Amino acid sequence: MSSLRVLNPNAEVLNKSAALHMTINAAKGLQDVLKSNLGPKGTIKMLVGGSGDIKLTKDGNTLLKEMQIQNPTAVMIARTAVAQDDISGDGTTSTVLFIGELMKQSERCIEEGMHPRVLVDGFDIAKRATLQFIEKFKTPVVMGDEPDKEILEMVARTTVRTKLYEALADQLTEIIVNAVSTFIVALFKFISCCALGSQMSPLIYLWWRLCTCAIKFDVDTRLVEGLVLDHGSRHPDMKRRVENCYILTCNVSLEYEKSEVNAGFFYSNAEQREAMVIAERRQVDERVKKIIELKNKLCSGTDKNFVVINQKGIDPPSLDLLAREGIVALRRAKRRNMERLVLACGGEAVNSVDDLSPDCLGWAGLVYEHVLGEEKYTFVENCKNPHSCTILIKGPNDHTIAQIKDAVRDGLRAVKNTIEDEAVIMGAGAFEVAARHHLMSEVKKTVKGRAQLGVEAFANALLVVPKTLAENSGLDTQDVIISLTAEHENGNVVGLNLQTGEPLNPEMEGIFDNYSVKRQLINSGPVIASQLLLVDEVIRAGRNMRKPT
Amino acid sequence: MREVVTIQVGDFANFIGSHFWNFQDELLGLAQDPNADPVFKNHSLDSDVFYRSGETQQGSLTYTPRLLSIGLQASLGSLSSLGSLYSDSSSYDPSCVATWTGNVDTLVSRPYKKNLFLQSLYKEGSDQSTTTSDVNEIKDEDLVGSLENDVQYWTDFSKVHYHPQSLYQVKGQFTDVQEFDNYGIGKDVFSEGQCGEEMNDRLRFFVEECDHVQGIQFVLDDSGGFSSVAADFLENIADEYANTPVLLYSARSPGTFMNPLNQKRSVSRYLHDAVSFSRLSSLCKLIVPIGLPSLSRSMASSFLCIKEEKAFHCSAVYAAALHSLSIPFRMGQPGPTVDSEFATGAVDINELVRMLTGQGRQNMVAILDVAMPAPPLTGVQNQHRFLEGLHSLTPEIAANVEDLQAIELMAVLGALHSGGTLASISEVKDSIVANYEDSVRSPRFHHLSASLCPLPVPLPFPSIFGNRVGQKGELLDGTTSGSKPRGSLDVHSVPMAARLRSSNAVLPFIEKRLGHLRKFGIERGAAGSQLLRSWGFEKDEGFGHILESCTRSCLLTQGGSSGLNHKMFLFIILPHGYMRSWEMFLFIILPHGYMRS
Repeated sequence: MSSLRVLNPNAEVLNKSAALHMTINAAKGLQDVLKSNLGPKGTIKMLVGGSGDIKLTKDGNTLLKEMQIQNPTAVMIARTAVAQDDISGDGTTSTVLFIGELMKQSERCIEEGMHPRVLVDGFDIAKRATLQFIEKFKTPVVMGDEPDKEILEMVARTTVRTKLYEALADQLTEIIVNAVSTFIVALFKFISCCALGSQMSPLIYLWWRLCTCAIKFDVDTRLVEGLVLDHGSRHPDMKRRVENCYILTCNVSLEYEKSEVNAGFFYSNAEQREAMVIAERRQVDERVKKIIELKNKLCSGTDKNFVVINQKGIDPPSLDLLAREGIVALRRAKRRNMERLVLACGGEAVNSVDDLSPDCLGWAGLVYEHVLGEEKYTFVENCKNPHSCTILIKGPNDHTIAQIKDAVRDGLRAVKNTIEDEAVIMGAGAFEVAARHHLMSEVKKTVKGRAQLGVEAFANALLVVPKTLAENSGLDTQDVIISLTAEHENGNVVGLNLQTGEPLNPEMEGIFDNYSVKRQLINSGPVIASQLLLVDEVIRAGRNMRKPT
Repeated sequence: MREVVTIQVGDFANFIGSHFWNFQDELLGLAQDPNADPVFKNHSLDSDVFYRSGETQQGSLTYTPRLLSIGLQASLGSLSSLGSLYSDSSSYDPSCVATWTGNVDTLVSRPYKKNLFLQSLYKEGSDQSTTTSDVNEIKDEDLVGSLENDVQYWTDFSKVHYHPQSLYQVKGQFTDVQEFDNYGIGKDVFSEGQCGEEMNDRLRFFVEECDHVQGIQFVLDDSGGFSSVAADFLENIADEYANTPVLLYSARSPGTFMNPLNQKRSVSRYLHDAVSFSRLSSLCKLIVPIGLPSLSRSMASSFLCIKEEKAFHCSAVYAAALHSLSIPFRMGQPGPTVDSEFATGAVDINELVRMLTGQGRQNMVAILDVAMPAPPLTGVQNQHRFLEGLHSLTPEIAANVEDLQAIELMAVLGALHSGGTLASISEVKDSIVANYEDSVRSPRFHHLSASLCPLPVPLPFPSIFGNRVGQKGELLDGTTSGSKPRGSLDVHSVPMAARLRSSNAVLPFIEKRLGHLRKFGIERGAAGSQLLRSWGFEKDEGFGHILESCTRSCLLTQGGSSGLNHKMFLFIILPHGYMRSWEMFLFIILPHGYMRS
């Protein structure tokens, strides 16, 4: 260290206690910011940026990303919390609260003369014990062939209700669970396919697409059993609404483009040039004609229609040809949508028009376009056995839609986690109180020496969740904790009723949290807290050292 | 019509872009202004190439740039990320939260103060009543003055309305702008969360509505973490729009050339330059590095007085050059044979790229030269000196290199005679051809695009013209009264000449990066090998000193004056895990004549 000071005499050095103080304060500060978010009685935050941008959120993750955090300790905690969200989809706020509380408890111990190292040892023991406890405590969910729809609904409701008001949350929960259970078979197939893969997160996004339309001036959501594409056909003569359609999903360029090879035209007069352009053009026309042929084979004489959805471009002459045949064509579909289309409508995506056959076509009962200002939406509905669907969110303005979108995402993640974990954890603070009881009554006795205090600090820090829940509901924190612990000592597993402040049975009320979220939380919180506690010295040096930020 | 989609990534790129769109907006405005110079009315330039027309939900028509701008969070200043056209005046009434019945916390950050210029724009928009011209004039001086003193964000001097899809901010980085300064720091941004997907979606929004997109004009602030963001983005673009050529301007502001404080920083800087250049050049069709270490002292600004520390000033010059080069893309009829009395020499991006990179040699790094204002075409002392007025904006290139293989593409805007009268298109053509014939170093091939329409100087243009520049951009003899730099109030339009050059003069630029990469990254025990690894470029186990990600083949013919020692460099850096074989890591020098076969 001294060598560094020699190198840079301006470096600011905080010694042991000051360093600790700085980190603890940062953790507490961040905790304070996020505290009011937690639970169904929390406070929603409306963030208005300097330029008037509005963001509406109750999600810790979103809030952290919106904040410009400068303090290095706070950044570390924030990164952990954001990582928590990336992995398990929820629990950002809890992570920050838990780390903050761990630091707060440690502060007290350290002030009483305890060495951080011993404290950290205690944390470690407690963490391992809690992780063992969670295995015992979890409520297993049997997934079988037909998963328990009720429990999925409860998990989703628990999550969504912390983000949206009750009526809307319940409506959304229903949509989410319906969406999931419609495709549960496909989902299971997928899970068994990639059970070995570590990254499962793309799973959800593959099947559900969130489409935002600011259509009405009230909040409304709907499950579309099919797909909503955010673009429309680009030809004035194409039909806006077609029924009984074959869907051709393709990735074929239907626009005239110069070949990639470095070869230009060589011509000596204008006619020759024209001729060459026509020859190039003809290739594209051939492709269009092949599609038209297929259409005529299948649709002529019937009331069936034909829709082409292309990932590549379609230029106006090709659109013209297609429109003349009554074919609806969409260009430049998103890659993600191509996968979803095949899942929703059946058929397969083709990369060339050479071997087109009726087998590669999908089917949809209804395709129609909805225009909203310059935005066009194409609805592909009434598919046979869809394996993909869309949740349509309508809202009065962008920030409301964005918030609902976040809530839906969280709900889907909760359902997905449940299916993967095959277990849930009782919510409403029940787990935390139970875990504390376990640590204090059983684990603490097995530990020798001062590390006991570390276990105790850890156990007390767990209580931050029920405490904050109570605080956000306007209840007396101490009363609540006392009544909860008393029930647990009597052997009853209870959570907190936020309306009355009385204990309740979360199983009866249907309040369940995700197992993986809690597990992740218990895992990562102490790690960061320990690292921060073991910081001996903080040296601030660099370019903007003394600059006030 | 063949559309161009513009992408701006990074802060300095957005500064350049802001000027660029101001020029476009000025052109559109002048075309409708009855008092404007007739040259702006009928220029046969198609503004739809860069603009899109749309409609808000309220049904009012809009005309906005076909642009995707990417910046860090809070780099937009007082401009809302939704633009100003599509959103209703944002009211944040806590009672109108439709999704929550509980408590609402409203956290309002201090609103950014709109500067005088933006205030006046806003006022103009809200009440349509036109004020008398002399009242305006007094105010205009204040506006220009205020812009000179406090431009902090690129939006501070932008007079263009943007589409809500155009402005994207990268969020959740938890870093300072100062710290976002090397390749490694941005490497995960694109893949993290929804960021890359969102960028792709927004780009697709603009591409989807194009009937026939001719290419993508990509302006990048190459000085920091945005290089890797852009590289990942370009990779996606190459994947998705395989046949759409990308013309990449990789720009940097003079501030980033500051001498780094310590060894570690300078190694990081050198490696950043090398890695980002090699990665980027492998992902686009033509790369044009721009940004001189010292613009104000360079030859390119002999008639300008630029305050280097201001991004507002420097970016104006680069934007003017970009504007000039984009003129050929929007000339009416494509095809080299079509001429009009207003414009000649239309090329689209594809043809431009092919022209410069083709012709036997595959040099995809071009040099940008500019003359601002362009010297007069004819004149007693200026006879046939037009070409010498052009000076490079590309750093670290060799001066006075004779390259028989060079290919040049020039755009001349509103060239003047020495008397200050506008030269016609045919005069420009004749004169340039004569210039090339007289010149000692004539390139193998040159293409000229010319338009009658000079560069319009919009009101928020910085005062960077020297006192020898007249109202129409003509060069005045001797010094005139007043030594203050002239701005948009004194200079209304400027003739421009800009040139893209594919020449071996760029060789030092590439060799320097190559050298640094070898010295600091690849060699055994190199100072930066650790750093490179942390940026995601792995060492090869077999040799212990071979990198990494990014394939890059830069083929150059180095034609000396004798034309005998043609060399071919093939330099490939391997992506980690792609190929491990030693043979693929080649550095070949082939004898003369090999290339031609």
